[in-house]
Amino acid sequence: MTVQADILTENAPDMRRIERRRALFWLLPPILWFVGFMLVPYAITLFYSFGRMDYVQFVAGFSLDNYVKVLTVQPYAGLILRSAKIGLLTAFWSTLLAYPVAIAMAFYLSSECAKHILYILVILPWWASYLVKAYAWKTILGTHGLLNEGLIWLGVIDEPLTVFLYNDFSIILTLTYIFTPFAVLSIYAQLERLPLSLIEAARDLGATGWETFIKVIWPISIPGVLAGGVITFSLGFGDFIAPALLGGADSIMISSVVISLLGVANDRPLAAAIGVAIILMAMALLTVSQYLEKRTQVRL
Amino acid sequence: MSATISLQNLRKTFGDGQSGHLAVDDVSLEIAAGQFVSLLGSSGCGKTTTLRIVAGLESPTSGRVLFDGADITHLPASHRDMRMMFQDLALFPHMSVEENVAFGLRLKRMRGKLSADEIRRRVATYLDIVRLGEMRKRMPHQLSGGQRQRVALARALATEPPVVLFDEPLGALDASLRRSTQAELKRIHRELGKTFIYVTHDQDEALSMSDMVAVMSGGRLIQYDTPEGIYERPRTRFVAQFIGAKNLISARVEKVTGSEVLLRLADGTHLGAHAEESLVPGQEVTAVFRADRALMQVNGYTDASLVSGIHVQSMFLGNRMEHIVRLVDGSEVTIHDAQARPLPGDGGPLQFALRPQHVQILTK
Repeated sequence: MTVQADILTENAPDMRRIERRRALFWLLPPILWFVGFMLVPYAITLFYSFGRMDYVQFVAGFSLDNYVKVLTVQPYAGLILRSAKIGLLTAFWSTLLAYPVAIAMAFYLSSECAKHILYILVILPWWASYLVKAYAWKTILGTHGLLNEGLIWLGVIDEPLTVFLYNDFSIILTLTYIFTPFAVLSIYAQLERLPLSLIEAARDLGATGWETFIKVIWPISIPGVLAGGVITFSLGFGDFIAPALLGGADSIMISSVVISLLGVANDRPLAAAIGVAIILMAMALLTVSQYLEKRTQVRL
Repeated sequence: MSATISLQNLRKTFGDGQSGHLAVDDVSLEIAAGQFVSLLGSSGCGKTTTLRIVAGLESPTSGRVLFDGADITHLPASHRDMRMMFQDLALFPHMSVEENVAFGLRLKRMRGKLSADEIRRRVATYLDIVRLGEMRKRMPHQLSGGQRQRVALARALATEPPVVLFDEPLGALDASLRRSTQAELKRIHRELGKTFIYVTHDQDEALSMSDMVAVMSGGRLIQYDTPEGIYERPRTRFVAQFIGAKNLISARVEKVTGSEVLLRLADGTHLGAHAEESLVPGQEVTAVFRADRALMQVNGYTDASLVSGIHVQSMFLGNRMEHIVRLVDGSEVTIHDAQARPLPGDGGPLQFALRPQHVQILTK
């Protein structure tokens, strides 16, 4: 009867109290993380974006001047569009390159070992620093780089070409190289959910390889393609290292402008307004892509 | 429209060399047009691999598959005139019931053969056959397990293949739904008259639906017979045990006269039996008989042999009484009494009679 005696004491365990404490224990870290690393920085950015600079002094206020500037004064709006174009092209090429790799990993590597090795090879470049990889492309694409030397050796060209480096081509190539693994992983994660029996069933019903791809594999893989596309677009859009190292004089992107606004120009409110504009764009993009992913996601 | 399928010395090894696993070991089988044939065996016996070889989803290491006499061993699955109902059903999750059923009809191979109207009519016909007309706009995840089975069946039938293959499609259903689906399949087989090849590990399912049953074990075909034949005359101890025969008695062959055999049991009494293979006197064999073939009324048969034992216990099972009898050599057999008469008590001597045609001899 000791159990019942316990109930009468003050310290008897209360299930509701335990549940509350448990919930607090698990929710506190994410809440702290979200407030410290997300909410506060966003709030600060938003706060700055409504203020103005009086020479070197920041004056708080509530004016939409900075936003009007972002939309009407060149080069800001143009550069946002330009960055979006670079981001889109990066997303396009990354996804295009990633798709067959993901297909091979999901369907054509029957042994777990081979799958594992390819998986490691895909993520291995991430062990090297981004800067190192960007510099590597610089040495490959440069006037005396591997590509020019190789073409000369093959006799295709006589003089080194300068078209490979310091333009949008070199930026997109480098961004694509660096971000393709993200696309591979998100497409693979989607294709892995597709049971092999669906492919067999399509073949069994008389479908050719192409018909099986178009009617079964592709529609089911769309959410993975969308996810990979959004990730590579965002990474390409906000990048500033590739344009700085491999871009030409006219190939700056919006992130580079934000950096120079914060540094040399010391126009923190305008930089913040650009930041907020980009955050809003990203939110719109994510909302649309999430809606599309949900629409195309299949329930297996 | 149906077709004959003939398997000739099929072998399939997975992996290579020494470490290879022999999944199908020299299987030869003749399946007549319009028959319902089951491949029966426990998991890993090679039945599914055999079916997948027939479907063209697996190619055999050696041997041939003939379709109405034509060698189709190396023909791709997409070009074979047969459709499979998969174990996990493999419904296309992004297509409605209707689109799933129409899938095979809308492919390039069928282009020009069917108009859009005919496709619509065909889909409606087969959804009616499986009684799913109402559900045609639903997505697979909106259906119950039994409805999904029927979509898969309609999809397999819609292209009107002469041969339909089934890879344990009822495995996931509960017992009563399974029963009704089996009845449904048998009805559809009778109505359409196609060749059905059906893989299952469930002996009741195989025996109740099939025209012929192929019992497999360890990649080999053990016995190919009618359900009655498998049930009444199992050829090996494995088949006997697999179909649930419990009454195995060790005996020695005393006299052989044609297919009539006289056995001598451990207690020295004689038992008349029937043999398919030739036996020699002195050979050690196992005799098997079915519980419901034992005659409690021992008098009145000129050809029956008497078996004596000790009554261990009885169980009343509604439509029959089940008695367990211990024989002199210590083995226990179960006999049924359809008249459900109680016995005077446990532990007393008990006699029952067996007619020779109901005693089957197993040599392996």
